[in-house]
Amino acid sequence: MGIETIEADDLDVESVLGSAVERREDPSLITGEAEYTDDIQRPNMAHMSVLRSQYGHATINGVDTSDAEAMDGVIGVYTADDLDVPGEVPTGWLLDSLKTPAHPLLAGETARYQGDGIAVAVAEERYIASDAVDAIDVDYDRRDAVTDPKEAVNEGAPVVHDDLDDNTAFDWEIGDADETDAAFDEAAHTAEIDLTNQRLIPNAMEPRATVAEYKPGTEELEVHMTSQNPHLHRQLMSGVLDVPEHKLHIVAPNVGGGFGNKIGHYPDEALASWCAKETERPVKWTATRSESYLTGTHGRDHVTHGELAMDEKGVITGMRVKTYAGMGAYLSTFAPAVPTYLYGTLLSGQYDIPAIHCNVVGAFTNSAPVDAYRGAGRPEALYAVERMITLGAREMGMDPAEFRRQNFVPSDDFPHQTPVAVEYDSGDYEPALDKALEAVGYDDLRERQEELREEGRYLGIGFSSYIEACGLAPSELAGQLGAQAGLWESGLVRVHPTGKVTAFCGTSGHGQGHETTYAQIVSDELGIPYDDIEIVEGDTDEIPQGMGTYGSRSAAVGGSALATSSQKVVEKAKKIAAHQLEASEEDIEFENGEFAVAGAPERSMHIQDVAAQSYLAHDMPDGIEPGLEETSFYDPDNFVFPFGTHIAVVEVDPDTGEIEFENYVAVDDVGPQINPKIVEGQVHGGVAQGIGQALYEGAEYDDNAQLVTGSMQDYTVPKAEHIPTMETDSTVTPSPHNPLGVKGVGEAGTIAAPQAVVNAVTDALQPFDVDHIDMPLTGEAVWRAVNDAPDAGAEGGDEAIADGSGIDEDGGEN
Amino acid sequence: MTEHDIELSVNGTTHELTVESRTLLVHALRDELGYTGTNVGCESSTCGACTVHLDGDAVKSCTLLAVQADGAEIGTVEGLAEDGSYAPIQEGFQKEHGLQCGYCTPGMMLAADDLLERNPDPDEDEIREAIEGNLCRCTGYQNIVNAVEFAANEMGETASPEMTAADGGGDD
Amino acid sequence: MAIFLVVWRQYRVGVSYSHRRHSHMEFSGTFELEDATTEEVWLALSDPVMIEHALPGCEFLVAVDDTDPDFDALREEHADRDVEPTSDPAVIAERAFEEGNHYAAIIGISIGPVNPTFETVVTIDERDQPYMEASGEGSAGDSSFEMSSWMDLDEADDGVEVEWATEADVFGRIAQMGQRVINPAANQVVKRFFSSVQDELREREIAEGGTVEQAQSDEDGRGIVDRILGRSDGSKQ
Repeated sequence: MGIETIEADDLDVESVLGSAVERREDPSLITGEAEYTDDIQRPNMAHMSVLRSQYGHATINGVDTSDAEAMDGVIGVYTADDLDVPGEVPTGWLLDSLKTPAHPLLAGETARYQGDGIAVAVAEERYIASDAVDAIDVDYDRRDAVTDPKEAVNEGAPVVHDDLDDNTAFDWEIGDADETDAAFDEAAHTAEIDLTNQRLIPNAMEPRATVAEYKPGTEELEVHMTSQNPHLHRQLMSGVLDVPEHKLHIVAPNVGGGFGNKIGHYPDEALASWCAKETERPVKWTATRSESYLTGTHGRDHVTHGELAMDEKGVITGMRVKTYAGMGAYLSTFAPAVPTYLYGTLLSGQYDIPAIHCNVVGAFTNSAPVDAYRGAGRPEALYAVERMITLGAREMGMDPAEFRRQNFVPSDDFPHQTPVAVEYDSGDYEPALDKALEAVGYDDLRERQEELREEGRYLGIGFSSYIEACGLAPSELAGQLGAQAGLWESGLVRVHPTGKVTAFCGTSGHGQGHETTYAQIVSDELGIPYDDIEIVEGDTDEIPQGMGTYGSRSAAVGGSALATSSQKVVEKAKKIAAHQLEASEEDIEFENGEFAVAGAPERSMHIQDVAAQSYLAHDMPDGIEPGLEETSFYDPDNFVFPFGTHIAVVEVDPDTGEIEFENYVAVDDVGPQINPKIVEGQVHGGVAQGIGQALYEGAEYDDNAQLVTGSMQDYTVPKAEHIPTMETDSTVTPSPHNPLGVKGVGEAGTIAAPQAVVNAVTDALQPFDVDHIDMPLTGEAVWRAVNDAPDAGAEGGDEAIADGSGIDEDGGEN
Repeated sequence: MTEHDIELSVNGTTHELTVESRTLLVHALRDELGYTGTNVGCESSTCGACTVHLDGDAVKSCTLLAVQADGAEIGTVEGLAEDGSYAPIQEGFQKEHGLQCGYCTPGMMLAADDLLERNPDPDEDEIREAIEGNLCRCTGYQNIVNAVEFAANEMGETASPEMTAADGGGDD
Repeated sequence: MAIFLVVWRQYRVGVSYSHRRHSHMEFSGTFELEDATTEEVWLALSDPVMIEHALPGCEFLVAVDDTDPDFDALREEHADRDVEPTSDPAVIAERAFEEGNHYAAIIGISIGPVNPTFETVVTIDERDQPYMEASGEGSAGDSSFEMSSWMDLDEADDGVEVEWATEADVFGRIAQMGQRVINPAANQVVKRFFSSVQDELREREIAEGGTVEQAQSDEDGRGIVDRILGRSDGSKQ
């Protein structure tokens, strides 16, 4: 049944860190009290709806809003011509070769993807706003469109941005091409693969939403919105709308999941804010699900060719990767970083590879912009790596586990410098692999696989020994790589006169349980009871500054900021306590909230009493200001590199293509765990999304750039029946780079799972010589792979395969 | 647009309101009556975030018109806890970490409650099947299944007299 | 309104649409119109009024000068239009489709959750008995389509065989929400269209007196048209 939770009442400050305490977020969420953005009502509130391009690519000859404007209850209808603001959506990450075409809030002359905003209507009611949008008449000239990233950069492809020569957004490389080529020249064995990492739709259950309110008296714009990073949104929107940053107040209330989709600065939130200013009415905009599908940033969208070079013993000597990455029609906020620095830098995986070269061509396409989706670049990298490793083992005729083990970075080689720029902080890869092998009963499993094959049943075992780079990010390094922001985090710890604590952090949780884990951190550092500590996130007026929550950074960077601030609080409190206890500061020991004179434990003072004294300020040491609160801007020294091994065990029915899970084991090393129950939940959810990618999900555009998976009925978000019961375990290798030693867990499952599943399915299908199937591995895809395989029909019991039973090739229905 | 006067009983409180023909039940509950615990996640009755009880059965309130619910007894997440103590299903979600962002949770709990009403002791497969109309993107469902099992056990124990006598009904 | 009694002797709509990479949908089929000659069918399918009546959801279908007509004006002009189809060749000849001409129509259709009303303009690209080809596009507020179709008539044992095919590209909301259900929706439209055509042809035949008497002396509960067609059992449709 997994890890058992404990109640907050049972916590004590000695063991608060590492306790599986129940989440304090839950009471408001399980009673309906929690407030999400669309729950917010304001007096006299109006509603905004957006008219979106029905074409993937079109010239807009004219927009007739007269019918819409004449409707009862319509307050205003606005097009690109009406927007009197700087109005361009900025790009937050630059690359040397990056082209940055303008991204207007509303399309003026050209619509570049299905869903590109063309006009907005503001009305008294939700339904009327939507009616008004329906009444707007757009005169379009449809143009040819392109959505495949590789096709998009071919000569003759329709060009998405007329002011560019072609669709190449950037051409980027990492690693040493010559050394890598030399490794391949000398290789005894090679393995190669062509794969796609399909476009995905993040599917946070809460669609994006905004409630914006302008107060003419103070010239303040207050925006409640579905944000993973309210301060970042404030900074960017301030420029987009020309509202001074100090007059812009952004609040992320309860946010119903993000998965990367609520990082970027979109046009819509800014449009709602502009409309609030324009109409001087509070304005609400809530995306419908189909609107989310069309316009929310998508993830992945890679077409990749990868090669692995090995010596005669199967020692990896080189890796070469060429990837075409779809950017969509416009560059979303962090989009350029995702398929480059968050991708190419992870291609060494857990392996000691002397030479790696990777070239990525980013392509504009007539599709929704692509940005971070849970894992962001790292799942794409590890999918390619672990597929290649599996094929490498196959090429060598080695057991895939032993092939991995043989090539792991040895435990005594940390920190480990890879040939793709990053230095792994700490790691010990074999114990995680061994634990996973033991959990699945590997040796017996291989025997059973043999036995079952005799019976015409196909069991497969798939490995994923993954690594990820989390804790974004050391600001200086990020700056060198093109980030247009620092990636530190701020934390303010305020001890009130009564000894209670409010701690503020610039991260912005949306389901991760920060209020719980941060309180555990602060409680542990200050020795103040967990229940005496309140955590505040998501409000730019309350929190000093912040970079937000993504890239599994919150614990490692935000948590470290709070730990650092707490330590500063303890330092100051120690001075005050020493003064009060009439001892020298050097003689004061601090443990579990108690300052005591060394050797005289009866002379002691609790930190909460010190707080009272600090505000009374009647008797302070010289040079010490009253009050007890500290702020830190914690900037990490390096990324942190969590790792682990996941093993999927599946049975595949080659007659139907059906895949059934027999087991899924996840052994993750995320460093010390602040709250193991929350860690377990993060792994479960991440793996489920990874399995979703492996088996079910895929955003598909047709040749006209129409999103044909445009609703939840067409895009398969995994249901309870689709996801197996997972077995989780861990090893603990602390990071030397942050005060907590933590590494981050939010994306581990999503990074690890897809290749575990695909490796398992292709392992099952070895008798059919199926080496690769592109995701999602639907029944049809598997069935086709079996039937198209060179050996199709060679095995016994294949009659059903040959006659294609069960599959309607037309896909038609009557 | 034609308007209708309707009466909805929500968690035992009767409300009279005027709605348009096209007003969805979920919008009447959220926008007109302020029961914002019920969420909207899609418009195709796929995700189940809007699940409420209608005369005791779990239904998706985004696919029902408010006028269709005229005179009905509606149960929402706001009505699950009684006298300040959580319903077993709420307790299960808290204890088993059955939620993360919480957006699907109200609908999920109401769907699960409906299952437990019909089948007080469901096995894992039955639970997974019963919530197939409710999508969760955060949890991977495993701890939701555990939460429902927890609630089933809790309800089983409460229903069994010697158990209540023995442990005095205390929480644990 | 007579219930549809047509049983498709040979009717299929095969859709070779696949989600991945393809843009257009292809529909095609062959059906038989019973007890009719190629001339009669050609005549019927040449009459815009006939098409207007037979096509489900069609408010009007009229000849226009170009491919960009003023639909507001057309709506006003034809709002309460009530023109009857006819079997009189002289009348049909007057208004029959002509190669190179354009025709405007308002067509409402229900595709799953989407119910667009399309302002449609069709051009007759080729018309040479027994073959006709047309192309056009339709646009609703949030959806649109582009299509091209052809049909070919052939004598069959017991009537006329119509072979037809349509290629269509769909855009906007119907593409996003409706692709999954376009196939059955299109099926429905095609089925109802040819049912109506068949009905009309039968009514003409009856009107011309051929088998009316026999039909009136119906004793065993079979429908009039069943008798005409010599069938023993009425369709359940």
